[in-house]
Amino acid sequence: MDIDDDDFFTNLDRPGRAANNNTFQERLRQAPRDDDGAEIPDAPPFMLEEEEETPLQQLIRHWMNERHSPDILLNEGELLAGLLDHIRSQSETVQLLRTDPTSSEEEHFRIMLVQTEVERVKFIVRSYLRTRLFKIEKFARYIMTNPEVQQRLSESEVEHARRFARLTDQHFYHSVLQSLPETQQTLDDQPPFVPSMVTEPDKARAVFVLARQDCPPVRLPDGTALDMRKGHISLTPYSVVEQLIARGEVELV
Amino acid sequence: MALPQSLRTSVTPLELELIASEHLVEIVPLITMEKTAFISVRIEGAYGPLRPPAKCRVPLWMATNLKLKKKCHIVPPEWLSVDFLQERLTRETSRPEFSKLPFRFAEIAKVILDVASDDVQNADKIKSLLKDLREARQAKSRDGLQKLDHSELSLPNLCSMEINEIRPFFIQAMGILTQLVREPSAE
Repeated sequence: MDIDDDDFFTNLDRPGRAANNNTFQERLRQAPRDDDGAEIPDAPPFMLEEEEETPLQQLIRHWMNERHSPDILLNEGELLAGLLDHIRSQSETVQLLRTDPTSSEEEHFRIMLVQTEVERVKFIVRSYLRTRLFKIEKFARYIMTNPEVQQRLSESEVEHARRFARLTDQHFYHSVLQSLPETQQTLDDQPPFVPSMVTEPDKARAVFVLARQDCPPVRLPDGTALDMRKGHISLTPYSVVEQLIARGEVELV
Repeated sequence: MALPQSLRTSVTPLELELIASEHLVEIVPLITMEKTAFISVRIEGAYGPLRPPAKCRVPLWMATNLKLKKKCHIVPPEWLSVDFLQERLTRETSRPEFSKLPFRFAEIAKVILDVASDDVQNADKIKSLLKDLREARQAKSRDGLQKLDHSELSLPNLCSMEINEIRPFFIQAMGILTQLVREPSAE
């Protein structure tokens, strides 16, 4: 306000110098604003969850979901491909800059930071894939007998499950089963009173869920309904929240 | 095997730290750096530029990296202060429910206090407050075990590290309760 008033009076008194004064003040105002530009935080760190997810954050969420869920979840192929492309282009840039002998020390430092990040993302990608691989091998027979589950896997994942199931079947047959009576040679008996021979995910296992938004009510095993508001945390069997996870309305923590 | 035994049932605190290190913190850089493209970006594909003494927002892992090379000061988040934590501790000990804290406060506080305790005012006092908070909250989550049944347990405001701590025991306990309920109906 003061500056504006000054401006006003200067303009009235000395119209000739007004232009000069204006540019000077313009510059003064410009300086702090420039600093401000870098300084304004988008949101206090406290509220970070409110911001839109970046692809990396999405992958981290799916990674944790996969780690905590007893069942195998939908393959996030597209997301993964996008991130892998990003990793590749970042690595290429790094390679290019490295071979450039004229790069400054500051540049070396930036290269180091970019590389650090690439390694971090790679770690997450690997851990995500390993978790899926572990489940595919564990449930190989279950996956092969269940077309609905195969839908959630990528083509190469289904192929791996098929080969793995065949390999173990052959191994069991050659090492033990062939010397047993024919009625006892199968691997998918469902005898009464004992667990099925095919390993299946235990969907009754409890998981910790965090609601990412207000969720429609879900039915609990004891018959009551659970109405989760955004930010709600619950410990509940996986089967209760299976649909909510698939729709991305909740995440496992 | 594809996944080591130790990682099959739970995640490790180090993995949680890795996730928390994606959170943005403010730093006061001591070096100049141009805008740089990163994978984890939000705005226009880049972090920076770093122009001392202007503050800048970067992910925690980058802040840690810069700090260890003495190239920045980390501005601790608002909640990492004696006043805030003291207030939460009072609330924590006087009320039955968990008080609200940032979801990954334990991880972020640990990383910042480990590498940048000289940037935090009263770091020692904050450490002891965090410890008291942890103990008060731990006692509450143990009490929560009484309310555990086979279908659901609400745990509002519980934080990531605390969940990880109680996970193996709570999941197993719930599994057993589920079995107890399931048996009679199956017959």
